[in-house]
Amino acid sequence: MSNIIKLEHVKKQYDDGFVALKDINITIESGKFYSLLGPSGSGKTTILRIIAGFSEPTEGRVLFDGQDITHLDASKRQLNTVFQNYALFPHMNVYDNVAFGLQLKKKEKNEIKKAVKDALHMVQLDGFANREIAELSGGQQQRVAIARALVNEPKVLLLDESLSALDKRLRKDMQFELREIQKKLGITFIFVTHDQEEALAMSDEIFVLNEGKIQQSGSPVDIYDEPVNDFVARFIGDSNILNGRMVKDFEVEFGNHTFECADAGIKPGERVEVVLRPEDLDITSVDKGKLHVRVESQLFLGDHFEIKAIDTDENEWLIHSTNSTKVGKEVGLYFDPEDIHVMRFGESEAEFDKRLESYEGGD
Amino acid sequence: MKRIKWSRLYIALVLIILYIPIFYLVYYSFSSGQNMDRFGHFTWVHYQELLADSRLLAIFLETILLALLSSLVATLIGTLGAIAVSQIKNKKIKQLLLTLNNVLMVSPDVIIGASFLIFFTALGIGLGFGSVLLSHIAFSIPIVVLMVLPRLNEFDYSLVDAARDLGASNWQVFSKIMLPGITPGILSGFFMALTYSLDDFAVTFFVTGNGFTTLSVEIYSRARQGINLEINALSTIMFILVMIIVIGYYFISSRSGKKGGRLL
Repeated sequence: MSNIIKLEHVKKQYDDGFVALKDINITIESGKFYSLLGPSGSGKTTILRIIAGFSEPTEGRVLFDGQDITHLDASKRQLNTVFQNYALFPHMNVYDNVAFGLQLKKKEKNEIKKAVKDALHMVQLDGFANREIAELSGGQQQRVAIARALVNEPKVLLLDESLSALDKRLRKDMQFELREIQKKLGITFIFVTHDQEEALAMSDEIFVLNEGKIQQSGSPVDIYDEPVNDFVARFIGDSNILNGRMVKDFEVEFGNHTFECADAGIKPGERVEVVLRPEDLDITSVDKGKLHVRVESQLFLGDHFEIKAIDTDENEWLIHSTNSTKVGKEVGLYFDPEDIHVMRFGESEAEFDKRLESYEGGD
Repeated sequence: MKRIKWSRLYIALVLIILYIPIFYLVYYSFSSGQNMDRFGHFTWVHYQELLADSRLLAIFLETILLALLSSLVATLIGTLGAIAVSQIKNKKIKQLLLTLNNVLMVSPDVIIGASFLIFFTALGIGLGFGSVLLSHIAFSIPIVVLMVLPRLNEFDYSLVDAARDLGASNWQVFSKIMLPGITPGILSGFFMALTYSLDDFAVTFFVTGNGFTTLSVEIYSRARQGINLEINALSTIMFILVMIIVIGYYFISSRSGKKGGRLL
């Protein structure tokens, strides 16, 4: 697949000295669904605004289809944006909103009419053309905003926290629909969100951002299973993170026990952090478990139980289980060697990938 | 129940007291005779006199022309000024400009009129229609700025981004997105400027010369020689005219409210 957008060493510093982005390098391939995921203030929206052309980077270049568009006006870029608050024009009806871009391009009237009709059909708003914006629900406004952007046939669609104002159920529906639309049109979507579940559910690829830096990029499965540092581990899903020490390749020590693991390439004796996902922990009898814990609390969350337990060394463990247990009960915890994920302090994504290759390459 | 009745009575009383002088004026415009001591009998004679008084009619038309011209120009300058002020990022400078704007609003007309007179004579600008027009434009600008600014502060600037994203040039963003958004403010600014200009006496009195006079100045100079019931007839006509404008404006704005912010 060909690259459509490339950010090279992009840095953004605001007038007040605040550095929003520190050396961002991103390559976006055409036809994929990307997410920029991070907490508020991480710089994800700044990246989107730089790609859209609402903001210029202090340093670095933005390439679109191989062309340098760093200083190109937003109105001349072949991409469109769905805004967080939708930014629909309140003094126009649905039809005029969707037709706005095409009318500016001086397209023929019949052509515009047909394109608007098709766009409204795609977002399931047939027959809404003559409604006023104020008469629409949040979900409908969202759809109009998507139609208004897509009707211009952009090569890339940017979505800025576009689902965050919707209620949970509607959000799930829209996630599914957006993914369908993206597959159908085959264009690139870049989706900004702080909701890790949303990013995991929709994306081909995720960029995890924090403090103006890309922490990790990769497929949802990669990022979930192999977080590169404790920020990513904490931000994506729940996790148990413990301090540990590498004993040798494929053996790590934490909680005063030594466990077999799947990580290597770290020198023996190095202090590391160990991640165990709550759903990878199984509750079993004390003698079958690798760890001995006492159940402290249990919450029923509908599709699973969230259990908190404390081991003999006073470490707290978060466990997700489909079966209930009893508060105060002494139980064993079992997990497989692959469930242990070892993270080195200060290891960058590139270093991490290199190390992974060094011992998995021989497989 | 009783309290509501008392409050209504109070409002009615206030309104009656406020409107009595006007109705008194209107009432005597239909009276025969030359003064307001006693109602003679019903007559249209003062209206006929008014229609025959070409000097007064000319002044009436000139006053309206002056009001329209000055408020149009003031709306244009004031709106652009408000946009400029709203884009200032430095809060202190913004506040300073707004304060300077408000000082012009609250300073007494006499002082403004006198300063214009000194200004025009110092520059050697002849007093007449031109000087009155300039001063009306000048004192109307702050009003327009004050009416347009709240609209600009409310304006959602992500709409500008959205329009640019869809390919709009700076001019298209302004004419198709921004202007419709602040039109209600511009319209009320225009109407306010119009009424201020129609109603101004003090400033006009200072800066008007020999050849030109407005209705308020003319009425004042005639009233000094004793009230003429022709003035009553003129006032009645103007009162009805203003009523029609107010009612019309009310219908326009209530209709636009129903259409979800779409104006006109």
